[in-house]
Amino acid sequence: MRPLRQDRIGDALSYLFLAITFLFFAWPLLWLLSLALRTRKEIFLGVSRLIPKAPTLENFGAILSSDKFAGYLWNALILSSCSAIGCLIVALPAAYAFSRFPFRGKGAWMMILLAFQMISPLVIMVPLYRYMAALHLTDSHFGATMVYIALAVPMVTWILKGSIDGIPKSLDEAAVIDGCGHFSVFWRIILPLSAPGIASAFIISVIAGWSQFLVPFLLISKESLMPIGVGIFQYAGTQNDSSLQLLAAACLVSVVPAIIAFLALQRLILGAMTEGAVKG
Amino acid sequence: MMDASIAATGPQRIGRKAAGRHSPSPLPWLMPLILVLGAFYLYPLIDVFRFAFTNVSLLGTDEEYTLQTIVTTLSKPELLQILWVTFVFTASSVVVQQFFGLFIALIVLHSEKRRLFGSTIVRTTALVAWVVPGIAGGIIWKMLFNEAPFGGLNSLLRLIGVPAVQWLSDPHMVMWSVVISNVWRGTAFSMVVMYAASKAIDPVLYEAAEVDGANPWQRLIYITLPQLRTAILVNMILITIQTLNTFDAIISLTGGGPGRATEVLSLYTFNVVFRNYDLAAGAVLSILMLTISLGLALIYARFLPKGEPT
Repeated sequence: MRPLRQDRIGDALSYLFLAITFLFFAWPLLWLLSLALRTRKEIFLGVSRLIPKAPTLENFGAILSSDKFAGYLWNALILSSCSAIGCLIVALPAAYAFSRFPFRGKGAWMMILLAFQMISPLVIMVPLYRYMAALHLTDSHFGATMVYIALAVPMVTWILKGSIDGIPKSLDEAAVIDGCGHFSVFWRIILPLSAPGIASAFIISVIAGWSQFLVPFLLISKESLMPIGVGIFQYAGTQNDSSLQLLAAACLVSVVPAIIAFLALQRLILGAMTEGAVKG
Repeated sequence: MMDASIAATGPQRIGRKAAGRHSPSPLPWLMPLILVLGAFYLYPLIDVFRFAFTNVSLLGTDEEYTLQTIVTTLSKPELLQILWVTFVFTASSVVVQQFFGLFIALIVLHSEKRRLFGSTIVRTTALVAWVVPGIAGGIIWKMLFNEAPFGGLNSLLRLIGVPAVQWLSDPHMVMWSVVISNVWRGTAFSMVVMYAASKAIDPVLYEAAEVDGANPWQRLIYITLPQLRTAILVNMILITIQTLNTFDAIISLTGGGPGRATEVLSLYTFNVVFRNYDLAAGAVLSILMLTISLGLALIYARFLPKGEPT
């Protein structure tokens, strides 16, 4: 009898805690959605109109139809996907070498790679700004992409190494016996077999690129080249309480793509992340 | 196990012998990585150290080697205030995120075991908050903290009869508001790490404890927490560095104000370089930031269990 009662109390407490946690995490997003669906009049009614009486999609219409916002979204998409592809091109061969080649100081190299992650982008942005200006790489998507790649590549290399480690070595040894060189082993065996790892590394770097603020904020001053993170920051600065519904809609538009990408591949992403965090 | 290890040593030995002749060097494979990191990470990093010994500004090109920048930057009276704000912000964020993340992870695991409803929803909601870009997170929380009666939190408080709180304009309150918003975005990471690490604990330990008659509390204190030690420390290192470098969420939420109440070191560095155009002083502050991260990481690392491969 006793354990049963204890279990029930435990369950009730768990439910209570789950409910509080859910509210804490969901409330900001629900509030954002609520504001984004309101008319200007209903903004001032606060929580009493959590579900607006006259919900409207007008705010989204206004945001999405402005050239400015369409441009911000497009730029963010270009920057984050190009940098994710670049990241894979740089990280995949390195991850293969780290996983398969015996060489001296491999552990140390992996740690150095991880140490890069400890350096705040702000630290390197100080000189990078001047350096990029001298190379005429400010106000260019190419320049920003290169910096995005540098910032994300240490983590991506770790993730990819983890997933290549999971491929049995006997497979590439067999291929070598069959006369394959390292490049064809990499191309024909490692790449196809690590596809899930590659997919999650890709999505992780797309999401990281989507939330970049500092790099494009400093390197890009032309409005037509700005990604959404910078755009929304500038836009928020020009808004006031009476246009809160527009800002909320704009905010939601900037957040939703990242959330959808994440939710669609949640399982893959978490697998790759925890593998790195727990083992590393 | 035995067979595999014998098989594994075989080709490797051959590989070593052949190494002199045609086992390829890893260098070509690492080259793209080395080039990108060297050009866009290492080179600027070295430059930061050089700048610290100059008086270079963002606009001019007048460069002169001097120790003056270091002395004046580090002896500025506001620096102490900035460091204190950074400490309060980082320490409270890290502690709350660690505890809250661990707690959610344990509750979610418990609920999964008991097949309670809703644990997946809670886990997913926390993770969604984690994906929200820092800038957007700051803007969202600014709407919640809005001190007009229709603000997302104050109108909620009014509903249950609690007087409105001056979330962002009261210099004593504002720090906690910033910490709350940071905890909202950051907890999911700790949760994921704690969840994965708890799942990896050998269930035999719990079975043995049950046989010995340990209650849930004792199981937590004597099994779960000691087993999670490494994961907790690694997680602490990661979130400390993350929090120390946070600045986009603060710039869009408070901009560092009111006054200097929420101006953390990273935001201060940003302002010094890009508002005052003082590149050299910014370099000194960057190095200070780097030193703090590194120092903290080394302190944490001392507590990691040694010898055991992690």
